[in-house]
Amino acid sequence: MLEALWEGLLLVLQWKAFGFMLLGIGLGFWVGLLPGLGGATTLALMLPFIYTMQPVEAFAFLLGMHAVVATTGDITSVLFGLPGEATSAATVVDGYAMTKKGEAGRALGAALASSLVGAIVGAVALAAAIPVVRPLVLTFGSPELFMLAIVGLAFIASLSGEGTRGMVRGFIAAGLGLLLATVGQDPQAGVARFTFDTLYLWQGLDLVPVLVGIFAIPEIIDLFVRGNSIAGNAPPGKVAKGAWEGVKDTYRHFWLTIRCSLIGTFIGIMPGLGGSVAQWMAYGHAAQSAKTPEERKQFGQGDVRGVLGPGAANNSKEGGSLIPTVAFGVPGSTSMAILLGGFLLLGLIPGPDMLTKHVAVTYSMVWTIVIANVITVAVCFLFLDRLAGITEVKGHRLIPVILVLVYIGSYTSNSHYGDLLVTLFFGGMGYLMVRAGWARAPFVLGLVLGKIAENYLYISTARYDAAWLTRPVVLVLIAIALAVIAYPFFQARRRG
Amino acid sequence: MNRRQLLAAIGLAAVAPLALAQSFSGKTVTIIVGYKPGGGYDATARMLARHLPKHIPGRPAVIVQNMPGANSVIAANHLYNVAKPDGLTIGTFNRNLPIAQLTGVEGVKYDITKFAWIGSAANESTILAIRADLPYKTFEELRKAKEQVVIGSTGPGANTHDFPLLLKDLLGVNLKIVSGYSSSADIMLAVERKEVDGRAGSYTSLLPFIERKLVRPIVRARTTEPGIDQLPVDESFAPNPKAKAIMALRSAPEQVARPYVLPPKTPPEIVKVMREAFAKAISDPEMVAEGKKAKNELEYTPGDQAQKILVEVMNQPKDIVQEFAKYIKFGE
Repeated sequence: MLEALWEGLLLVLQWKAFGFMLLGIGLGFWVGLLPGLGGATTLALMLPFIYTMQPVEAFAFLLGMHAVVATTGDITSVLFGLPGEATSAATVVDGYAMTKKGEAGRALGAALASSLVGAIVGAVALAAAIPVVRPLVLTFGSPELFMLAIVGLAFIASLSGEGTRGMVRGFIAAGLGLLLATVGQDPQAGVARFTFDTLYLWQGLDLVPVLVGIFAIPEIIDLFVRGNSIAGNAPPGKVAKGAWEGVKDTYRHFWLTIRCSLIGTFIGIMPGLGGSVAQWMAYGHAAQSAKTPEERKQFGQGDVRGVLGPGAANNSKEGGSLIPTVAFGVPGSTSMAILLGGFLLLGLIPGPDMLTKHVAVTYSMVWTIVIANVITVAVCFLFLDRLAGITEVKGHRLIPVILVLVYIGSYTSNSHYGDLLVTLFFGGMGYLMVRAGWARAPFVLGLVLGKIAENYLYISTARYDAAWLTRPVVLVLIAIALAVIAYPFFQARRRG
Repeated sequence: MNRRQLLAAIGLAAVAPLALAQSFSGKTVTIIVGYKPGGGYDATARMLARHLPKHIPGRPAVIVQNMPGANSVIAANHLYNVAKPDGLTIGTFNRNLPIAQLTGVEGVKYDITKFAWIGSAANESTILAIRADLPYKTFEELRKAKEQVVIGSTGPGANTHDFPLLLKDLLGVNLKIVSGYSSSADIMLAVERKEVDGRAGSYTSLLPFIERKLVRPIVRARTTEPGIDQLPVDESFAPNPKAKAIMALRSAPEQVARPYVLPPKTPPEIVKVMREAFAKAISDPEMVAEGKKAKNELEYTPGDQAQKILVEVMNQPKDIVQEFAKYIKFGE
């Protein structure tokens, strides 16, 4: 195995492969920064360019690009409160709150450093999982995937505000999210639900317009009302430094970062859970690490751990989602489905062969993820503090730019005016939620997990009737879900 | 026709190609795809966009624009009602759009037979494959199965669902259809972990798993391709003409699996140029090789033939359509 690992590294370091990787990184950098234009779409657009490349070059190019999208997506989330990618929305919650406190540099440093840790953990997991990947993935059938969604939903308890009131609000918001996830044609009977006879809603609500609306619009209104800059209420002189502080934070909370990376990797490995789930589960886990009620209150107000968790998870999931793609030819996310098309173009058949005959190519992918992230983070650090300076620009200069990004970003999902209406609607809803002190994370979690939970529950019951409830892994997951729900109460009691 | 008109007609015929070449040169032809980037329809369109220009007089640039939503109905409505019939907008969309029109889906604002048909770039042959370790080696054996055979599906309107549904409901095969998987690749994984016993789908998408001996092809629909000619056809087991008609109707759009159309009322000379360009592009050795490599193989069905197939679909007697709509819903 070590030999193959070494061979894989040498493959990536060939000048041609390395050059293509740099090209990919450059592309991914911008794709990540710009909201809306996602990693998956860009992969699809770049696919035709790989016809004449060798497999290692092609993957260095595509993966190099893909690996940095989540990393730079966090930058937009932190700086403007505008999710750069659907997968970096959770970074907004505390990242942007830190920015408003004048800690943009620190938040960016933390996001990037944790991204790097996440990418490395994900890649190591990919390398280590290669021998055991088949049994691991095959253990998780539809009942287990349903229960994973339930574990995810259980995090509502720790994502909601403190106290009974916060909890009730959290569950109402999550319920609304679950309800909105049912919009569109249902996959069992083919009935159109809540589409109000519009064609636009037929395929359900797209995540990007909703996320962009619910997170960015309230912040834009807030910035406009305040009339100064994003970090306008922060003490002067604090803004344009602190990137190193963020790196140090990553090491201060090293084990949390590692745990969140592992959560991301694991969710990535499970095909069918989708890329936007991992970050929220990681965020929920990070929020659990608060030891006192005062600490807990800081989440959502700019706790650096709220940046570290999702920052790590949205990168580590990439290594994870490569696992089923490579080993089974079953993509773990949309991006991976497109990457799979790349495999076929290059004449590689994903499956057992990739773990034996072509294992060096597989390891070259591991290296690409690591090297691409190291380069990106290093480059970002060169101008991170300067980047943070944007938050001192007056709002009236910044708002038009952000608004353009918001609407272009949402419009890229369907190129339909409906995208803009959805953004506006959820922008309004987000604003009301912020004003009334409702947490937005539970709503998003419900929306993200709704379809998954519904479909796998249906499949489990249709296939096994009630017998699926007694499967061993299901029982373990039920216990975990209960523990996740009980944890905040347990914590409260211990303190009391 | 007097002499003057005749001369004018001859003159026009001689000038037309030149005029067309001029009208296309420096222009941009847009292929509107009814899906997001990344799927099969999108991949074919992008491949065509690269190879079409050299076969169109005047060598226009060809670009792809994605217009997803409502399983392509939005794109089809746009092409039918908004796009100009000047040859600069081509549409490609869900092959099942005729089914949507036939079963009266709300929101359909097109008549599929009135598009100016360029043709279809590929066929799709649907088969049912079941796990190779099951005791049923042939369709005959599967029909006699005492135990229920579980088939995974993505949902109504997809061939993963509709094809086995008709086998079950019309031929009485002992199947149980479990739908809700997010993609056909997801169902394949469920097959691997023995959560389901098999899946239906296009032969091309199942081929790697057949070669890996995970699944075995059992029965196919009417449309065929080399490799599955010998498989029994679902229609041949139909107990009555009505059942046979329903199965034939479900399968008909599969002969026009990658439809390419121009807006209605596009001038015939433009349609002719586009049809020729498509025919040439699809037999272009470079494009054939590329399609093979991407496992996205091409087969050209000329526009008039595609149109004929769809007119036939639309002219089904009412009672057949009503019966058909009981089983088949428009989707994917």
